[in-house]
Amino acid sequence: MSEIVTVNGDDFAGAAHHEGATITAWLKGNADYAALDAVEMLLTRAHAEATRLGANEMVIDLRQLEFMNSSCFKCFLSWITDIQELATDQQYRVKFLSNPKLHWQKRSLHSLRCFAVELITVTEQ
Amino acid sequence: MENPYVELNFRPNVQLVSVVRRFVSEFYQRFIGDADGTSRVALATHELLENAVKYSMDGETTIRIEVLQQETPRRVRIWLRNRAEPQHIAAIREIVDGVSKAEDAFAFYQALIVRKARRKDGSGLGLARICAEGEMKISYTVEDDVVMIDALTVIGDKP
Repeated sequence: MSEIVTVNGDDFAGAAHHEGATITAWLKGNADYAALDAVEMLLTRAHAEATRLGANEMVIDLRQLEFMNSSCFKCFLSWITDIQELATDQQYRVKFLSNPKLHWQKRSLHSLRCFAVELITVTEQ
Repeated sequence: MENPYVELNFRPNVQLVSVVRRFVSEFYQRFIGDADGTSRVALATHELLENAVKYSMDGETTIRIEVLQQETPRRVRIWLRNRAEPQHIAAIREIVDGVSKAEDAFAFYQALIVRKARRKDGSGLGLARICAEGEMKISYTVEDDVVMIDALTVIGDKP
């Protein structure tokens, strides 16, 4: 398993790594305004690696992410837009792992999925 | 019985916004007893306060969060007051007027998401997110450079 990027803040952390052509990332803590640059960096680097590897899927584990503000949510929108703008055969799917006890996740991931229903799946665990 | 409420008059910064959101979550979980309702109130509190941090003229903000428990169904009201630059007040008008006129707050939010996905300066999604994901009705009043935002939502019964 190879590390792609790790980000750490006072109240937020995340990382992405890959094994073969499968990329897995996790975010935990509080994705508020202070975490904005870290979230953007994580998604940008993971996307670049997914494109380089020709990945079929990226798994994003949000199960320990306490909260995400609208600015960080927009980073996800921009990233999904980047995927949509790839040639069809280069696009990869995104699978979110969510925590049903964190109620905002169900609502926000539904909003995100409606934006790109062809690319996104959400699994509660 | 009196309505339980919290009112804070303070000069928030980015770090304090999350502190207040966590406090609100814990405080209102006791009174609301509806985990999804508490989550929606916390989300709205966070987005409103972050807007105040970013756009307030002097940083000073008053926020009051009240459970209207005499009403049926029960509702939670978030009231926020701060001084704001004209361009921020115009942005509030655009979003709140837009979502108020829309037949479906979620459809309005989805259309806004498509428009803002490539925006570089801030998300521009916070108020619409409160309405769509937070299921809140937002209104505002403006007096000179003071803007007051009122957000109301129905919450479930205590389990």
